[in-house]
Amino acid sequence: MSLDDDLAAWAATVRLPDVDAAAIFQRIVVAPAARPAAAPRLKPSWWRGYNAGFAARMVASTAPVRLAA
Amino acid sequence: MDREAEFGRLYEAHRAAVHAYFAGKTGDRQLAADLMQEVFLRAWQHLDKVAGLPDDGQRGWLFTVARNLSVDTARQQRTADGTQRALEGEPSSRQNSAVAPASTAVLAAERASVVAAAIATLPEQQRITLTMAAAGDMNSAEIGAALGVPAGTVRYRLSLARRTLAEALGDYDDAQEEEQ
Repeated sequence: MSLDDDLAAWAATVRLPDVDAAAIFQRIVVAPAARPAAAPRLKPSWWRGYNAGFAARMVASTAPVRLAA
Repeated sequence: MDREAEFGRLYEAHRAAVHAYFAGKTGDRQLAADLMQEVFLRAWQHLDKVAGLPDDGQRGWLFTVARNLSVDTARQQRTADGTQRALEGEPSSRQNSAVAPASTAVLAAERASVVAAAIATLPEQQRITLTMAAAGDMNSAEIGAALGVPAGTVRYRLSLARRTLAEALGDYDDAQEEEQ
């Protein structure tokens, strides 16, 4: 028996039988298709407000502390 | 072409290759089938995208999913094995126990078990490559494209694997002759 024969015999034990493959196919095709995920979106005005608020807080937090008179 | 027919064409074209990849990776035909199902389930769920790809692009998409899945599975398996070992206090090796059938009627089965055991001891990349070639009926270029390695590397791995197998079977044949 050649090595190729041995490998062919072994491969036959490894391959998925057609009946199992068909069963898997049937299980898959009853699954619903994925719906495209709705991308979360923000209004442009939200970003403008966010940036303005962020900038204002940065300025306020880094401004020198005014000493009490 | 309707959706199911399109998927059927994709499935038939690539299922053997994907299954062979997982069979080589895991050494377990049933686990390989489960993982293959997961890959094709994802393909089914994203069929609109996958169906638009050329043939090699489809195979590339499937094997990208397969490789990612095998990484996740290996990680989970290591965690599960570690937990199990910690609970049982056993060493980590999971070697196959030796099988010693006595009857001549099972010589073919015994030889097959020698082949399977020798393949199980191959380094993972050689085992996967050999399984894809033998059970997936893929050539070096196809295996290389699926695994993301040059075809020459595939041929080298196959050569090493076959040499190891030949040595294992040579030892087995020698032992058989000594017994007779």
